[in-house]
Amino acid sequence: MIDLSHLTKVYGDTAVVDDVNMHVEAGTITVIVGTSGSGKSTLLRMVNRLVEPTKGRILVQGRDVLKMPAYELRRSIGYAIQSHGLFPHWTVARNIATVPMLLGWDRKKVAARVEELMELFQLDHAQFAGRYPHELSGGQQQRVGVARAMAAKPALLLMDEPFGALDPIIRGKAQADLKAIQRRTGTTILLVTHDMDEAIHLGDRIAVMDAGQLKQYAPAADILARPADAFVDDLIGTADRPFHYLTLGTLGSAVEPGEADGAPLAASASLYEGLGALLWSGRKAAPVIGDDGAPLGRVSLSGITDRAAQPR
Amino acid sequence: MIRPGLLLRLVVFTALIAFLAMPDRFAGLLAPLTDNGAPAIYNQGSLVSLTLSHLFTVALATSAATIVAVGLAIFVTRPAGAEFLALSRAAVNIGQTFPPVAVLALSVPAMGFGEGPTRLALFLYGLLPIFENSLVGLSTLPPAVVESASAMGMTGRQRLLKVELPLAMPLIIEGIRLSAVIGLATATIGSTVAAKGLGEVIVAGLQSNNLAFVVQGGVITGILAVLISDGFQILARRTSKRRGASPQASRPATDGQQAPV
Repeated sequence: MIDLSHLTKVYGDTAVVDDVNMHVEAGTITVIVGTSGSGKSTLLRMVNRLVEPTKGRILVQGRDVLKMPAYELRRSIGYAIQSHGLFPHWTVARNIATVPMLLGWDRKKVAARVEELMELFQLDHAQFAGRYPHELSGGQQQRVGVARAMAAKPALLLMDEPFGALDPIIRGKAQADLKAIQRRTGTTILLVTHDMDEAIHLGDRIAVMDAGQLKQYAPAADILARPADAFVDDLIGTADRPFHYLTLGTLGSAVEPGEADGAPLAASASLYEGLGALLWSGRKAAPVIGDDGAPLGRVSLSGITDRAAQPR
Repeated sequence: MIRPGLLLRLVVFTALIAFLAMPDRFAGLLAPLTDNGAPAIYNQGSLVSLTLSHLFTVALATSAATIVAVGLAIFVTRPAGAEFLALSRAAVNIGQTFPPVAVLALSVPAMGFGEGPTRLALFLYGLLPIFENSLVGLSTLPPAVVESASAMGMTGRQRLLKVELPLAMPLIIEGIRLSAVIGLATATIGSTVAAKGLGEVIVAGLQSNNLAFVVQGGVITGILAVLISDGFQILARRTSKRRGASPQASRPATDGQQAPV
């Protein structure tokens, strides 16, 4: 989907993005994580040419983006940012319709698409279509921002700290919704964040950036198990590492035969959630049920904690 | 429901129309201001046509100033024109610093007597408020919104017409309002170089020591200024209303300007 080769951006004497090579698979979520000033946003913004690269090449779906007119390229790529950037003088429906209108879709098709998206993002069409951005809550504005980015069904969606302005509870829900929507639509997402939790939660693969360089680019589990260097190690946080690791597996993977007392846990819940439930209820083990409610066996405290150890 | 403010304006407007249509009916009202049986109502020309030509002069000069000033503000806020910002500011500022009376005096030899010099003076004088307000409006847009417009794939022209100008509109209208109101007051001095307008009534009154003339010329000009200013303010409020609580819309950028005498 995306191929970056020797991508470099120099401002003055400093290379804010320094010779980055990266390949992003279609249909996946790739999260670029790093501290502020690591060049992660600049890297993202070069993909739709809001920033022009100093050197290197960017291929999106096999096409060299530097050889396309910028406006044409951008209409084919979704873009959502932290402060949502909705047009304050346009209604929610008109905002979402921005790119389809630029592409010259006919009115009926645009209206149908807007309705479809508003349903997808749980915004009641009758209630919200005619409202202006300032009449919405932060969470609703953010959803409209993402809906607008996805309006013309782009194969690629770029997101720059899209959940940064949300409070923790709404952020968790927004992340889960995005993941579900991504699985449904198969959109490729390239997302930038400074939050390692978010990166591990959302990313099929994680790219860690520091001082303009790509330090490590691997699936979340690999990053946790084998951090490439001290910086990546630091970013994960030593104390949190086993817990991060547990968020990646499901209880289904830790089921052992046998029975246990108390409320059952869902097999689709993460090991982390399972550990929390066991610790809080003071049990050593709990029964596990599948999605259909059928008992699968049990999970034990030791079964879970074994999986929190660094893989050899 | 009609608000008291609106009602008052309607009454004043109706009174103005009535006075212009049948000035003689109001002669009794103004008679106490005259001495020795002098006429109470201006009698050397029709008040309606003087008012209309006064308005026409202001409208023409303000429209021209709007086109030039907004065009210039757009130009200097594009990447290609950024380096001309300081120069345009200086040029527009000279237009404002130069007293209209001086413009009149200097342009009469070149343009002759009549409306020409007045229109030129009003045009030059009206540039600054519109230019400065448009500049503020276009250069203080939320960066996230402007960037989004580009990121959605708008061309430079689409971004200007669909996003930047509509969002800057309340401030631009505010600038036009200032310019029109200042122009309306300043246009009265055009009569000194034989431009047709309400200044003629005031000047005639001053020369013949007829207070009634001075009052009717002054009051008509004043009422027109208030009504036009209100009209623009309503328009500015309309354009900013949908944006929600916009701090820019209600705050004139070049406030505290004085109309010259």
